[in-house]
Amino acid sequence: MEEGRAERRRRTEAPSCTQGGARRAGIMTDVHRRFLQLLMTHGVLEERGVRRLQKHCYRVHGRTAAVEELEDFINNINSVLESLYIEIKKGATEDDGRPVYALVNLATTPVSKMASDFAENELDLFRKALELIIDSETGFASSTNILNLVDQLKGKKMRKKEAEQVLQKFVQNKWLIEKEGEFTLHSRAILEMEQYIRETYPDAVKTCNICHGLLIQGQSCETCGIRMHLPCVAKYFQSAPEPRCPHCNDYWPHEIPEVFNPDKEREAGTSKANKKPSRSRQH
Amino acid sequence: MPRGQKSKLRAREKRRRQAPEKPQDLVSAQATTAVGEVFPSLCCPHFNSSPTAGSYRAPQERQRATATTTTPVAVSYTKSNEAANNRGEERPRSSQVQPTALPFQRDLLDEKVVLLVHYLLRKYQKKELITKAGILRNVIQMYRNQFHEILKRASDHLELVFGLDLKEADPNRHIYVLVNKLEPSYDAVPSDHGGVPKTGLLMTILGVIFTNRNRAMEEQVWQTLNVMGLYEGRQHFIFGEPRKLITKDFVKEKYLEYRQVPNSDPPCYEFLWGPRAHAETSKMRVLEFLAKVHDTVPSAFPAWYEEALRDEEERARARAAARAHTAAMASARARAMPAAPPTPNKV
Repeated sequence: MEEGRAERRRRTEAPSCTQGGARRAGIMTDVHRRFLQLLMTHGVLEERGVRRLQKHCYRVHGRTAAVEELEDFINNINSVLESLYIEIKKGATEDDGRPVYALVNLATTPVSKMASDFAENELDLFRKALELIIDSETGFASSTNILNLVDQLKGKKMRKKEAEQVLQKFVQNKWLIEKEGEFTLHSRAILEMEQYIRETYPDAVKTCNICHGLLIQGQSCETCGIRMHLPCVAKYFQSAPEPRCPHCNDYWPHEIPEVFNPDKEREAGTSKANKKPSRSRQH
Repeated sequence: MPRGQKSKLRAREKRRRQAPEKPQDLVSAQATTAVGEVFPSLCCPHFNSSPTAGSYRAPQERQRATATTTTPVAVSYTKSNEAANNRGEERPRSSQVQPTALPFQRDLLDEKVVLLVHYLLRKYQKKELITKAGILRNVIQMYRNQFHEILKRASDHLELVFGLDLKEADPNRHIYVLVNKLEPSYDAVPSDHGGVPKTGLLMTILGVIFTNRNRAMEEQVWQTLNVMGLYEGRQHFIFGEPRKLITKDFVKEKYLEYRQVPNSDPPCYEFLWGPRAHAETSKMRVLEFLAKVHDTVPSAFPAWYEEALRDEEERARARAAARAHTAAMASARARAMPAAPPTPNKV
C-alpha cells in the first residue's frame, strides 16, 4: 500500500479531521504490523534499534517499498493506535540523552504491566523504591535504604536476601537501573509511568525547567533550585561560553555534558556502554 | 489489570488539559457532551492489582449517537464511517466542553473493546491461555450479553492493527488463541492449547539448531538448556523431565528430529528441525526470537539474517505458487460443474 510523498505529508500535517482519519487508518500494512509486534516484545528499544527494526520489517514484507522516515512512520502508526489508547512513546535516557521508544498502554495503570509479572509484595517493594527515588535529591535510592523497608511490605513476608533478588529482577526487566549499589528508574519506567508518577506524587515530583518533563536525575541550580535533565543541560548550554541559569541567571556551576551524537558513537564502534564515569551527584 | 476509575478519569482529564487545542472539524463537536463522564469518581487506587470495572470512557465513536447497528464483517479501516469518528473524536480539545452524564450504549461498548484489546495483547505477549471465562471475568463483566460484539470488534482491531488473528481453538471449552497472521503458516503456537508455555523452550532449541548450520549436536542443546536451568534427569516444575521432552515429546509432535550422527562411533546424536517446525514457524521468526533475547535486532547477525531472508523468499514463492495452483483448481472445478455454486477458496 504505497502512497506518494505528497499524500503522506498531507496526512501527517492535517489536523485530526474526519477525512484525514479515514485515510490515515488505511496505512496499516504488514510492515507496520510486524513492526508493532516486534516493538511490543522488546518493551523499550533505543532509536538505533528501532531504525534497524523498521528496516528489517521493510525487508521482510515490503521489499520494493522505500523506507519511510522514522518519525512519519511512527506518527502514522500512532494515529491508528490512538483510538486504542496505545502509543509508541519517544523519550530519552536521563544520563546521556539516548532516544528510546516504548509501546505504552495509556489506559491502564502502568503497574498493571508489572502486576502480572510480580507478586504483591514485589510490587510493593517497587513502590517503596519508587518513592525513595522520587524523594531523593539525586534521583537514586540506595540498596540499603530500600532493603530496610522490607518489613513494611504488603503481602507475604520477604527477607532482605530475597528482596535483593527482586531488585535484580526489576533491573533485568528494565524497570530500574543500578549504579554502584544505588537504584534509579529505567527510561522505560519513566516513559510508561510518567503520568502515574505525576498524579500519585504531585508534591514530590520534580520537573525539568527546559522540557517540563518528569525529572529523576539531573542538575540543579544552587541559587534558585530549578532543575534540568542532563541532556537538556547539554542542549541548552551547547555553545554557551559561560553557562548561566535560565531562571536566575546565576553562574551554572556544574560540568556541562556533551550532546548525544549517534554518529560519533557508530564511528567509535561502541555499543551501549556507560560513558559516564560516575553518576552526576550534581544536586 | 485495569486501574481504578478515578485514576483513569483524572489521567484523561489531565491529558486533555495538557493537549494543545486542535480544530474541531465535526459539526457535532458541541455534542461531545454526549460522551459523558458517566462514571462517578471513586477512591484513588495506587498499585491496584485487582481488576476493577473498566469504567473509563473511550472517546472513539462518541458521536455515533445516531449511528445504527454494529458493522459486522471485516471492519475496513477505510470505511469513512467508523474511522472518521475514530479520528475526529479523540480527546475533545476545547476545554469548555463539560460532559454530561448521558451514556450512549456505544461508548460503554467502546471502552470494553479497548480494554479487551489490551487484555488480549497482554495474554499474547505472555503466551497465556485465553479463555472465555477469563475474558468475562476480567473485562466484559456486566456486559455479558454483548460478549460477542465486543469480542468481534476487539478482534477486528487486533487483526487490522497488529496482524493478530483471534481464533477459537476449542469451541467446547471456549479457549481462544491469537495467531500471527503475518506468517500464514505460523499457526497456533505449539502447546498453547495445553496451556503449558513450552514455546520459548522450543524456539530456543530451534535457534540453537539454526545457528549451528541447521544441525545441533546433542551436547550443544544441553549446554543451552543447562543455562536455562534444565538438566537431564531433573524434573522441572513446568517442563517435566527435559530429556523426555526434547527427545521424545517434541519429536513425536514432529517439531524436532533426533537422530544418530551418521557413521559416528561411539554413537552420538544430533537435533534438526522437524517438519512441523518448518511448517509452523520460520528461520526469520526464530532469528527474531533470538535477537529479542539478546536485546538486539535480527540484522545484527548478518550471516543468519541472509539465510533467513532467503528462506522467507522461498516461502513467499511457495505460497504464491500454492495460491495459483488452488485458484486454477477452483476454476477448473467450477467449469466442470456449472450447476453447482462455486465454493469460496481458502487460499
